[in-house]
Amino acid sequence: MTAVVLAAAVGALFALGTFLLLRRDLVRVVWGLAIISQAANVYLLAMGGIAPATADSVPVLAGHGDHVPTTADPLVQALVLTAIVIGFGMTAFALVLSYRVYEEHGTLDVSELGDRER
Amino acid sequence: MTAPPVGTESQLVIAPMLVVLIAAVGSLLLGHRPRARAAVSLAGGAAYAVAVAAIDWYVVLAPDAPGIATYQVGDWAAPFGITLVADGLSAFMLTMVAILGVCSLVFSTRHLPGGEGRSYYFPLFHFLALGVTGAFLTGDLFNLFVWFEVMLMASYVFVAYSGGPQHTRAAFWYVALNLLASAVFLLGVGGIYATTGTLNMADLAQRLADPAAYGLEPVPVVGLLGLLLSVFAIKAGLVPFQFWIPTAYRAAPPQITALLAGATKKVGIYAIIRLSFTVFAGAEVAVDLPLPVIDAAIAGDSPLPFVGAALFVMGTASILLGGIGAVGRDSMEGVFAYSSIGQVGFIAIPVAIAATTASPELRRFAIIAALVFALNHTLAKGLLFLAVGTVRAATGTSRLNDLGGLASRSPPLAIAVFIASLALVGIPPLSGFFGKFLVFDAAARAGNGPAIVLLLAGSLLTIAYATRLWNRSFWGARTPAVEAATVDPVQVAVLVVLATAIVGVGVGFEPVYEFAQTAAEAALDSEGYVDAVDPQAADDLLGSSGGEH
Repeated sequence: MTAVVLAAAVGALFALGTFLLLRRDLVRVVWGLAIISQAANVYLLAMGGIAPATADSVPVLAGHGDHVPTTADPLVQALVLTAIVIGFGMTAFALVLSYRVYEEHGTLDVSELGDRER
Repeated sequence: MTAPPVGTESQLVIAPMLVVLIAAVGSLLLGHRPRARAAVSLAGGAAYAVAVAAIDWYVVLAPDAPGIATYQVGDWAAPFGITLVADGLSAFMLTMVAILGVCSLVFSTRHLPGGEGRSYYFPLFHFLALGVTGAFLTGDLFNLFVWFEVMLMASYVFVAYSGGPQHTRAAFWYVALNLLASAVFLLGVGGIYATTGTLNMADLAQRLADPAAYGLEPVPVVGLLGLLLSVFAIKAGLVPFQFWIPTAYRAAPPQITALLAGATKKVGIYAIIRLSFTVFAGAEVAVDLPLPVIDAAIAGDSPLPFVGAALFVMGTASILLGGIGAVGRDSMEGVFAYSSIGQVGFIAIPVAIAATTASPELRRFAIIAALVFALNHTLAKGLLFLAVGTVRAATGTSRLNDLGGLASRSPPLAIAVFIASLALVGIPPLSGFFGKFLVFDAAARAGNGPAIVLLLAGSLLTIAYATRLWNRSFWGARTPAVEAATVDPVQVAVLVVLATAIVGVGVGFEPVYEFAQTAAEAALDSEGYVDAVDPQAADDLLGSSGGEH
């Protein structure tokens, strides 16, 4: 059950992110990027195994001895933490950049930006 | 502690990264004192070159060198900790970057892009080098992702903040594309972790080579490797992921563009070679993909045929699109940006041949060809982009229409550019001749007729755009912009040094070939890589100590 819900959530997040990414408004594009990177994070977390974990189902434990009785996979959490920090910084940078585009071009509409350049 | 059978543990492996990190932080702290900042940066560049040379000699080239050295960061044993690995392939790539990096750094002390961002130039330069170095040295897939991000963040700022308003839009799409690529990279990493239970490259190679022993079902790794390949192809700028290159290369300052073309592109190539050959080549996965349209099939016992087919298609498209695109550009950096797309195709084709052939001898030879071509591309294209910087600093323009007669205005500049152009075309005795010769030879040995025709077409296009650029900007009557130009002697000196390197590599090709051969052998030696990293050690440790945590 959890697996279905998580899969649906990841799918929905990717769909929403892709939809926003294809908008003409630059701020929406940034939102889309943020959502896609969050979707990748949820996916990454799910890759550690989402059932109540045993030494068999957690990838890092399955291959390297079964000395820890019951646990969630700690590795994916560490990975996601890193990815969240990177994603946060990049989203901030992309927002600043879109503000600069607005300052310099007076618009956030992608199609108008294109016209001005040609 | 007894020495492991293959390779040695050595702190030398982490030295280039530490040096460049210190230089980055040091130049950041000295932000308000331009001279001290430049001095620290140059010292950092020199120390980096020394560190890389030390790795080259003590790890790879010395008569009693182990050939591979590892460093377990924080003394956490593989596969739990982050492993750094320096082998022939890493050393070869690092050497290319060190040569170009130092040249670009010296060049930068003479001409910095103006504006508020000036004091951040050197720190960002070093962070870019740090990301590239980390990507070459890491032995961990997720860590590779992190170094990619470090490298990209520095390049974002260069692309976004050194150009005018017309470049901000290019920068935005550069950032957006790479953020998307990062998400795809994470998908690949997550999937591989779920499939194999490890992210350490040596551990991955070991498990994939014998999936039954670890209870793995390795089939998904073929698709996941495809995801990773697409990310690396974006970094390398292979068609269909080339579209960001011309605008981003125009927006960044030329001395950074030299690094983007010479170093970060090679990170993409390096990652493709490292993952395909060292890590995934041994994977026991039956690939059988019928292609009804052309009446063929991609089949084999490892993911390599799939990689080869994909690279062959991308390389072909890159050579044609890059070559044709370069002929029609109207600015120097435009010509060189498209030329870069084409040249990366020339590197991808031998890698594709190596991936599809069954003969170990040809596979090794094709990788040597790719590496030698990559070296030539780094030197020649690095020189040419730096020359764009010189011309822009001297005349204020790099548009072909406003240039002409540069040859008589500054003969040393013209000679350097002439040598680099000939190296692109592949005239003996320059480095480019051997690069191209080896690539042709690899295609001929593989008996791949279409590839030879394609390479010939690509070479003709190279001659066309190199000649056109030379005629339009260096020959002919001097334009007003050229007449008023004052060429910076230090910048020209850097160009001459690089031109000498191009000639030197060609004349003294024997040691370069041997180095490339060592690098290719390291890339193909999965077992040596696994033995050196020794991912089993941690398991033994856990088993013997009864699993205390």
